[in-house]
Amino acid sequence: MYDYEWDRLKTWLDQYGAIESSVTTPEEITRLDLSGHSLKEIPESFGILVNLLALNLSHNRLSTLPESLKNLSHLSNLDMRRNRFEKLPNLLLNTSLRSLNVSGNALADISILGQCKELRVLDVSSNSLKEVGAVFERDNELRTLNLSSNFLKDIGALLCVLGNLQRLNVSANFISELPESVSNLLSLEEIEMSDNRLEKIDEAFFELDVENVNLTANNLTSLHLHGLDSLEVLTLDENVLEELTMSDDFAPYLRELSCESCGLKEFILPPSTALENLCYASNEISSVPDALQRYTKLVHLDIEGNNIVDLPDTLANLLHLNTLYIGGNPLNEHAKKVIAILDPEICDLNMKSGITIENAKEEDLKEMAELLGILFAIESDFEIDFDKQYAGLKQLYYNKGSDLLVARHENKVVGMLTMQRLISSAEGSFIGQLEDLVVKEEYRVMGVGSRLVNKMRALAYEYGYKRIQLAADINNDNALKFYTRRGLKRTHLSIYHFHL
Amino acid sequence: MKNQEEILKMQVCECGEKSVAQAIDIFQNTALPFKKAKKLVTECNKSCCRVALVKIYDMSVFGKFDYDEIAYVIKQRVERLKRLGEEQEDV
Repeated sequence: MYDYEWDRLKTWLDQYGAIESSVTTPEEITRLDLSGHSLKEIPESFGILVNLLALNLSHNRLSTLPESLKNLSHLSNLDMRRNRFEKLPNLLLNTSLRSLNVSGNALADISILGQCKELRVLDVSSNSLKEVGAVFERDNELRTLNLSSNFLKDIGALLCVLGNLQRLNVSANFISELPESVSNLLSLEEIEMSDNRLEKIDEAFFELDVENVNLTANNLTSLHLHGLDSLEVLTLDENVLEELTMSDDFAPYLRELSCESCGLKEFILPPSTALENLCYASNEISSVPDALQRYTKLVHLDIEGNNIVDLPDTLANLLHLNTLYIGGNPLNEHAKKVIAILDPEICDLNMKSGITIENAKEEDLKEMAELLGILFAIESDFEIDFDKQYAGLKQLYYNKGSDLLVARHENKVVGMLTMQRLISSAEGSFIGQLEDLVVKEEYRVMGVGSRLVNKMRALAYEYGYKRIQLAADINNDNALKFYTRRGLKRTHLSIYHFHL
Repeated sequence: MKNQEEILKMQVCECGEKSVAQAIDIFQNTALPFKKAKKLVTECNKSCCRVALVKIYDMSVFGKFDYDEIAYVIKQRVERLKRLGEEQEDV
């Protein structure tokens, strides 16, 4: 029998490319993505999609939903972020929502969500909430709650009923106190409270099993850190800490501590020897304690922008230290010698400034051909031949659909990367083939390669390429790691050559 | 709704007096981690524009810019500052 309602809805969904052409019945549809179409309304017939599990309506102009949505009893994941809802539709009560995102609307009241008993993930960030105290009851299932960028002042009552919550984000509100009711957060693993007005933290907080705490940009002036047995990451940046102390029992497994721009005059060292990342940048610290050597697992140390003159010899014992930021200190010659012995892979003192990433000019081609010699010395499949490489680059330079980027420092080419446009039958469109990424030895580990890849990727996006790809020598470990770290995935394909 | 050119001209940081376009340019020309790169834009240690700058930084690394999103977070910050001003007046 002809179903007029379904036929009209199918046509409507088709125009937004939301369903495959093979779909013949409304019951087949379980997931729909209707994001970013400036929709002002959804067809009333939407309710016939009774098997819908996940619906993405984000980045539209919706302020209401059709009443028939209450028929979607299986709907468990609804994304309504960045719309124009001033009020949450009551029909949400009839669904079995487990995940709801209503971020970036104009909601001042979310009280009906208290009746969505199965909600586990809720994002109500960037709305106009002033009060959420009485929304949820104790029997809620919330695991992740994002209330950031609202106008909340008091979360005391809310915390009483969040016994199952694992992740809480209340950043960018106007909260001045973390009250005693925080003791109810028995399952809490992460709390993000940056950009509030926090002045007071109740003692009960230090009994929690929380692993990650961010208290950046609050009004904390005095903090005695103790307990927090499971804490691994603590960020206290941008609090004017007149007093900061740590007990011997504080955070035995702490891996990361950051106290940037806290007005501190001395290092306060945590008892955890598992520390891997320590930041005391932009304080008023004048000396580095000998005791820093006990953090043998330290990988990143950031103490730039202090008043440090000298460094203890024992600092050179930090064998795992990979990154050291220490610029902006009046270091003496002895301190510089200690850094030279320590020899971290990344150190701001060794970084060269003024390196620019630019499109290659014709007069750069000879320098680029010489740079390719460095690359081909590693890649056993290729021979170093300046004339060939220069000729190849010249062809690339004049070839439509090719891009040549250089990293330039003091008028010299210190790095390069090329991209050629190819047609992919798999993608049905253009793709970019990256080649010839090379950075001069003395300019490595300064992010030059990353900047070349980022800029080329931005160009590929601009041209509408569907993919970028490259080939790398399997013996060039550095290159393989570099590409993997930048999100390129290794394929199952190998490259075969047949010379003509 | 603002177009791309208008968004690029919007001021993202009052301390450093930088526009969105300038912030993008700075982030594209550094490989420093966010906390360090942010200071190149703000020229200060404050955090008022952090949310917007985090977005722009991530987009710079990713290579694709969502200008509507940038305009939205800047607008959010202005709203917050306005609300903060009102709160202080109430006090």
